[in-house]
Amino acid sequence: MSWADVVTVLAGFVGGLLSGSLGIGGGQAFIPIMTIGFRFPQSLAQGTSLAAIVPTALAGGLTHLREGNVVLRAALWMGGGGVVGAVLGALLAVEIPGSILSRLFGVFLIFNAWRLFAAARRDGAAPHKAG
Amino acid sequence: MLWGGLQQRQANANSLIAIIPIAIAAVPIYYYRHGQPQVDFHFALFLVLGAVVGAYLGARSLKYIPDRQLKLGVAVLILVLGVKYVVLP
Repeated sequence: MSWADVVTVLAGFVGGLLSGSLGIGGGQAFIPIMTIGFRFPQSLAQGTSLAAIVPTALAGGLTHLREGNVVLRAALWMGGGGVVGAVLGALLAVEIPGSILSRLFGVFLIFNAWRLFAAARRDGAAPHKAG
Repeated sequence: MLWGGLQQRQANANSLIAIIPIAIAAVPIYYYRHGQPQVDFHFALFLVLGAVVGAYLGARSLKYIPDRQLKLGVAVLILVLGVKYVVLP
């Protein structure tokens, strides 16, 4: 096990923590770690991130399931619809140039940052939220 | 999260469950579609080792963490990264 592997485990831990607590996709943590930290091409980082997300989401999701937080019907509808988009998106991602893919990922991150800001503002407006 | 009536915790939990079939569908395309496989399973394995522990602790600690501050901190980080990707792809 090399130092790079140790750093990867730590990076995975941070990604998993954010995924399990805030519900943000682990990919938003995994992909920058791979492209910026390990110089992965964008497409390779995205494919690798998706492979890592399956067991990670299973671990976080099953914990939520046991704690009764999952509305299974809604989750299955979201997942089922998402599969169609995932197949189309993956077909596109492996074909388009890396620089364009990186820029699209950047726009996606900025959009999610805006969503998190909005969510934090809502929390500020309602400090005694349920849960 | 936009599903009517779902609380934040339920929305997070649903997203985690929903991403599983989505990721399973996409991985073979990244692996087989391009000339060279676009999945590094060795790297993914070590990411998972840390991430599974992190995801478990994250889901368990949802009731105790300072939600708003964490969201703001992560939002700033993601914003900086997003601008970096757009300007210096």
